[in-house]
Amino acid sequence: MLGKEILKEFQDIVGVENIDDGDVMTNAYAYNWCIEFVNYMEDKEPIPFSPIPKAVILPSSTEEVQKVVQLCNKYGIKFKAQSTGLGPWNQPSTDNSVIMDLRRMNRIVKIDVKNLYAVVEPYVSGAQLQAETMKYGLNIHMPGAGPMASTLASHTSMAGPGFTSPQTGYSARNVLGTEWVLPTGEILRLGSLGLKNEPDWYSGDGPGPSLRGIMRGWVGTKSGLGVFTRVATKLFPYPCHTEYVLKGHSPIYDFKIPNFIRAYVVDCKNFKHLEKSFIRIEEEEIALICSHMSSYAIMAIFSYTIESLMDKIAFGSMKSPLLIVIAARTKREFDYKQKVMNHLMEELNLINIIGTKYEPESLFYAECLRTNLGYHGFIATGGFQSAKGQCDSAALCLRAEMKNKPLKQKYIEKGVIANDFGEGAWMTSYESGHFFHMEAPTFFDQTNEESVKGMGEYMKESNQMDLLKHLGVPFFIEGDQLHNHWGPHLMNYHNWLRKIKEAFDPNGVSDSGFYISGNEGDV
Amino acid sequence: MDEEEYQKMIKRCVRCSVCKWIPQVQIKSQKYASGCPAIDIYNYHPYSGGGKIILALAYEMGRIKPSEELRDIVYKCTVCGNCAVACKYMSTLEPIEIMMKLREKLVDIGCGPMPQQKTYIEAVKKVNNPYNEPHEKRMDWIPDDIILDPKAKVLYYVGCTSSYRRKEMAIAAARIMNEAGVSFNILREDEFCCGSPILRTGDSNTFEEILNKNLDIIESKGIETVVFSCAGCYDTFKVDYPLSRKYDFKVKHTVELFDELIESRQLQLTNNVPITVTYHDPCHLGRNAERYEDWDGDVVPLMPLISINIPPKPKRTGSKGIYDAPRNILKKIPGLKFVEMERIQEYAYCCGAGAGVKSAFPEMAIKTAKIRIEEAEDSGADILVSACPFCSTNLQDGIMDMNSKLKYFDISELILMALGLEPEKLKQATTEGA
Repeated sequence: MLGKEILKEFQDIVGVENIDDGDVMTNAYAYNWCIEFVNYMEDKEPIPFSPIPKAVILPSSTEEVQKVVQLCNKYGIKFKAQSTGLGPWNQPSTDNSVIMDLRRMNRIVKIDVKNLYAVVEPYVSGAQLQAETMKYGLNIHMPGAGPMASTLASHTSMAGPGFTSPQTGYSARNVLGTEWVLPTGEILRLGSLGLKNEPDWYSGDGPGPSLRGIMRGWVGTKSGLGVFTRVATKLFPYPCHTEYVLKGHSPIYDFKIPNFIRAYVVDCKNFKHLEKSFIRIEEEEIALICSHMSSYAIMAIFSYTIESLMDKIAFGSMKSPLLIVIAARTKREFDYKQKVMNHLMEELNLINIIGTKYEPESLFYAECLRTNLGYHGFIATGGFQSAKGQCDSAALCLRAEMKNKPLKQKYIEKGVIANDFGEGAWMTSYESGHFFHMEAPTFFDQTNEESVKGMGEYMKESNQMDLLKHLGVPFFIEGDQLHNHWGPHLMNYHNWLRKIKEAFDPNGVSDSGFYISGNEGDV
Repeated sequence: MDEEEYQKMIKRCVRCSVCKWIPQVQIKSQKYASGCPAIDIYNYHPYSGGGKIILALAYEMGRIKPSEELRDIVYKCTVCGNCAVACKYMSTLEPIEIMMKLREKLVDIGCGPMPQQKTYIEAVKKVNNPYNEPHEKRMDWIPDDIILDPKAKVLYYVGCTSSYRRKEMAIAAARIMNEAGVSFNILREDEFCCGSPILRTGDSNTFEEILNKNLDIIESKGIETVVFSCAGCYDTFKVDYPLSRKYDFKVKHTVELFDELIESRQLQLTNNVPITVTYHDPCHLGRNAERYEDWDGDVVPLMPLISINIPPKPKRTGSKGIYDAPRNILKKIPGLKFVEMERIQEYAYCCGAGAGVKSAFPEMAIKTAKIRIEEAEDSGADILVSACPFCSTNLQDGIMDMNSKLKYFDISELILMALGLEPEKLKQATTEGA
């Protein structure tokens, strides 16, 4: 709890009803998905609760966020900002912390149709923004986490690969003008928004100050370097007609499939051929979705229950599956894309299972367009998280997957993670094969302590393997312990990162549990 | 949900926040993407379906103690079920069942329900209705010209709200049945509260007594079909009673009966009703009116950590609510233009009145109603129609509060108009309610 006088000062900023330091509220905000095995990895009790925040604060504007941050500096209290709040990264790392839940900052500030960007506050979800941009025939990039996740959080503070990444890229690449409340309470406006004359949101890097690398780098600072209050993100042409008709009832809605969309599931048989096929298909710049998944994951994305997943066991015989979705706005464009795909199928000797051996529910296409496929990961055990998280060439990503397979198999045989044939991987290209992303979704049972511990051990071992086998940096290298472990192997980057933290957050108030602290051991 | 299942399930929320919205694939605008009145109004995560699962876990782990703070959060929820629909799009979690179990636990230790709810529970025990009205006045709604048949096999279970507060609904239902030649009777002095407002507070012991009393009476009369104009009574009889005690008679909501009568031409809608109408799906008639299906299968461990149900366990997803019947009726009224709101059927937004919220947290009820009324206005309709006396009261309160030009009718009143009968305006818009 906060002291009465400090509580009063926070109340003066956000109003009495928008701060709560009671036991019930603060305990509820201490819970999150996957925090149990993160706790285990940090030698803590493997329970799904983080340290309890001193209070939960609901600011409604940039000015209120700024004042809250200033007050945190005044009293040496850390803050952790969260928007839609999925995942352990939203949790405080110390009980000397307040959570800023940005739920009341939920406005779509602007959709600039001509210049193809939208400006949003933290609590605008991907589904909300997409629904509005669809009205203009436009689309957004959504992360694999799904349409319920905050667009701003993904773009400013997290990794951000998504199913439509071949067309819509990567969150870090889509950030334009940004409004940033620094850990000191100063407000910094990046890109064209920082211009003295005629500031606007259209560019993230210039004219105006460009600090994208510091602001978020590859995987974001997860509220370890201030609070982002508004951001402009790129818009893209919606991949097909925007008429969106969904009839029937949950969960298997009947979707009126747009005229110009088609899915392909092909088995590339082995990694070598997968790499070649992946790159060739992406070179042609026709795919809306081009994802390599394990055969298990392919089963999952077409399923809505564990029972119906197991009905699709025939997919389990595939060795190196690839899911491709093409979509077009006109018949001419669609004919072209199909023609190219036909040519590629012949060239690469691939056979499409869709339409021959299997026909998905029409809803599958709606989920492709609304980026809802990732949610199917919860079907098997109710809990999953990804190891790895490489962002590199197709060859390195696939090498990481290959190396991970026996490790995963070891933990499957221990019975602590679910059996996905050891293959569990999701890999997508960014920007038509410009570069690639690979992660290894792994299913565990969060209600089972042995499974939680096993998942923690597996994650540790997977991280270590990436280091020793030169497989690139996994995206969940977060916090002092892991940065200190990895830094010496990577040109001591952690020292530089720490200097950034020190410079931007001299009082160390922006909770660094999932970033890096300025003063090692500060957290 | 038994205790073992509860203890396991409260550990499974992934805090994805899907429960705060309508099903993700159904989101068509920013404005109407949300599905949970409690989180819309109170903002803090514990007010959401997932948040209440976390509270249940924190409570079981001893991290939080019974308190007014806990009680208020747990009871600031209309149990509308949107969170369950959104969550169970993919998951097998049961946020509403968990929350009801948590309410039961709070009642058991004397921490729940809310004081206002305790008052109406006492009223039900004393005078058989939550409004504390004299039991002998329960039949006052009946006009002299209504024809009842003491030998009828169809029973019209009027319910407390239609009997005392929304008499126009009871009158309209009775007149329509008379017009169609449906022979029916009412329980008169033997009709008591169905127990719904008590059950939703978590007082399951009192509810159990009420359901047994009601079933004893109905079964003793050889009734074949019980008809309800109250969505709350209908849901309680249809879904909740069989969980404690099975019965043999059929249950129907009046919209189902009237739809059948129109289809069979026993009711002929001939009068022009030139209005533009939108329909609000009551939670108790829609997503919550889906029965639990018996399942006697096996949980078969398939591999470590993965079990499957053989045969598959039926999942209540809200898909089997009564959605078509009211729409069929409206579309058959001559001259009536029917338009839909954005959030409909199993992902309809709640009116805000249910589960004791109207009595314990009237400000929450009104705020929720106003959100729904704005959505109805945006549909382009002049008239908002529904089929539930709770929705009727709360939505009309909302209309008055925000000076909306929208008018509210129960669907049975529109049928009366289409039949050429003058609907009696006995609206007693009152803020009292359960």
